[in-house]
Amino acid sequence: MSTSAPALEVDRLTSGYGEAMVIHDVSVTVPAGQIVAILGKNGMGKSTLLKTVMGFLPASKGHVRVGGEDVTNLTPYRIARRAIAYSPQDQAIFQDLTVDENLRLGLGMQTDYARGLERVSGFFPFLAQRRRQRAGTLSGGEQKMLLVARALLSRPRLMLVDEISEGLQPSVIQRLADVLRGEREALGLGILLIEQNVRFALKVADRFAVLKRGEIVDSGSATESGIEDRVNEHLTV
Amino acid sequence: MVAILGVMALAAVAAGPYLLDTYSVNILVRSFLYGCIAIALDILWGFAGVLSFGQSAFFAIGAYGCGLAFVHLGLSWETAIAGLLGGAVLAAIVAAFVGWLAFGHGVSELYVSVVTLVLTVVVVQILYSGGDFTGSSSGLSGFDTFDIEIETWFWITGAALVLSAALGWILVRSDVGRLLVAIRDNEQRCSYFGISGSGIKILVLVFSAVVTSLAGYGYAAYTDVVAPDLGGFQFGTELVIWVALGGRGTLIGPAVAAVVIDFISAYLSGSLPFIWQLFIGLLFILVIVLMPQGLGGAIASLCRRLWPWPMDSPGVARLAAVRADRIAREHAAPAIELRGVARRYGSLRVLEDISFVARQGELVSLVGPNGAGKTTLIRCISDGHERSAGQVAIQGHDIGRLPPERCARLGIGRKFQTPNVFDSLSVAESLRIARARLEPPSPWRRADEIHLPEAALRVVRATGLDRSLTTTVRHLSHGTKQALELAMVLAMEPRLLLLDEPTAGLTKPERTLIGAILVDLVANHDLCILIIEHDFEFVREISSRIIVLHQGRLVLDGNVEDVVSSELVRTIYVGEQHALRETGA
Repeated sequence: MSTSAPALEVDRLTSGYGEAMVIHDVSVTVPAGQIVAILGKNGMGKSTLLKTVMGFLPASKGHVRVGGEDVTNLTPYRIARRAIAYSPQDQAIFQDLTVDENLRLGLGMQTDYARGLERVSGFFPFLAQRRRQRAGTLSGGEQKMLLVARALLSRPRLMLVDEISEGLQPSVIQRLADVLRGEREALGLGILLIEQNVRFALKVADRFAVLKRGEIVDSGSATESGIEDRVNEHLTV
Repeated sequence: MVAILGVMALAAVAAGPYLLDTYSVNILVRSFLYGCIAIALDILWGFAGVLSFGQSAFFAIGAYGCGLAFVHLGLSWETAIAGLLGGAVLAAIVAAFVGWLAFGHGVSELYVSVVTLVLTVVVVQILYSGGDFTGSSSGLSGFDTFDIEIETWFWITGAALVLSAALGWILVRSDVGRLLVAIRDNEQRCSYFGISGSGIKILVLVFSAVVTSLAGYGYAAYTDVVAPDLGGFQFGTELVIWVALGGRGTLIGPAVAAVVIDFISAYLSGSLPFIWQLFIGLLFILVIVLMPQGLGGAIASLCRRLWPWPMDSPGVARLAAVRADRIAREHAAPAIELRGVARRYGSLRVLEDISFVARQGELVSLVGPNGAGKTTLIRCISDGHERSAGQVAIQGHDIGRLPPERCARLGIGRKFQTPNVFDSLSVAESLRIARARLEPPSPWRRADEIHLPEAALRVVRATGLDRSLTTTVRHLSHGTKQALELAMVLAMEPRLLLLDEPTAGLTKPERTLIGAILVDLVANHDLCILIIEHDFEFVREISSRIIVLHQGRLVLDGNVEDVVSSELVRTIYVGEQHALRETGA
């Protein structure tokens, strides 16, 4: 694997459920150390894109490359072993395990749990205080934070994040933005972010792309001025 | 369509005795009876999701009803009817009792399978210990029974099978049939619509028990033998296997499987006594592995591929507006009144001493950090079993320990935090289920119009759901499911709306529209709305009042300006780096 290869390269990907294709010819590149936000209305194929990248849905055309290596249509656990952390929209924590046990599962082969816990509970302090609580009894927002913490604990090369700001209080959303930007710099982490909260997404991301009826209709740098209005325009029509 | 197939099937039954040899006719009478019970079991398991191993017990109750009446009372019209009714009534009582045991509050789905399995053991033991009265292990035989030709039996049982299949077919395709699927899919959501899932499952179990006991009666009258084995779990399990092989949830598949397997068994068990059982076992494993939908399911999906003929979509239902009953403020009682409500999980105190009153015409936002207890509070208001202490009154009625379906009938509509919908129903069917308590569904037809109050219609149209009425909910995106659940809750015409992050996952324009709809409901229809939202800008625009929770306690209760200017809210909730004006999308 060459170091210059992008963290994720989605190359003219077409996929969907059964006969019905949801995304068509979608190409997105996430360079290492960059955050790319995918924006779009509901049902435009955002989650489908992530599920296909992760191998939960078969790609009928196109390729998915991670760090230059072709992983198209591998099984999800093989893709995850390429140091990819995936935070799906719901049902992603182990309800009957404790906070501690959930976090440890994110650790994979690494053994230094204490250091890792210290790092992630720096982001979300409640984690350290509630280590023995059953994760299913956390509130909806706390479960989301646990999910991000677990993903970051694995020191991934690439993170796929589906609507992570949903249900979080404003101050936590701000912290989350800082955390993601900090980690991307510190670890050279590539992040593909799916968001409904346009302001949060543009604040975090380096680049953005708008998905409409399964196709990318707009993309560019997220830091230019006037981007928010431009994106909202796409969401209204 | 059903009529044509029914007439063809009846014609086949009529011609049967002239085409088949006596031995086949003799066997088929029994097979037809088994076909009827397979249909009853498929409605119970394939549609209502209740896996019963105890159908054999109901069969035995019906059979002994006949045997006992004829042996002890002799053969007459009176005793024949007494035996028939006695068996059916006893089967219904036993089924109701089993259902009451098995579908209790918070009992796992598996429980009914265990209870019905035990039922077979109990019934067999009772029959064994009945001495001369039940004939113990040798059962009852050689009693006087109806003097009817085999051919006539063939016609009667064949017609019964065709009739069961036709009635079953009509039932499962009706609105009631969809309701059964909804209960199987998501009983929790149904109970918050005010529908008692356990009550309906008990009804279906009783219905299937009665049908099964009637078949048992026919069996006893025809074969002139009843034995304890009829009620055993072996026969009960065999029935389940037939249904699974034939295709659970296809109705015709299980009936055909029951008839064919029983018929072939009769021929082969003589020549290949043990091998035949082994063959059925292997076939069962193969079908379960290769065709989880059973043979019937596999054939149905093959047919659908060959003829893309819309078998499953009997016309698209139209949406129609209905005027929500505007209830005058009949009682001055507030919409919600909480006094000292607390919720503890062991030593964990999630809520402590929450008291407030909210009236009709108020839109109250519940705000607070993640983990403050907001969702728990909503749970305590909508389910009497949730709180550890304190009182909750809805429109002046103390909810006590009422279950969610009874709370819903007081006028509560609750939307959950993550979309809580019916995965295998279509959008239109889901909306229809939400109306089930206001407009009881028909057991023989599907409504071609879905009546929705204006607010629900507006949500449906604003989020594009009206263009995907036939889409299966499983295939909707996360945000669209949120919108669908909101529309369903509004369709109930609630007086008190409890909304847990209703716009999460929706776009900004959709949010704005939903905000406007909620404000309209409060202003013009006198609803009371309690809403949890994190988009502070949105909260400011729509709320008439804000309640702040922090670490399980109510820390602030005031109008929008009080809360927005509060230093406390800034510290614990919004974040210190940014002024309030900048937050929210």
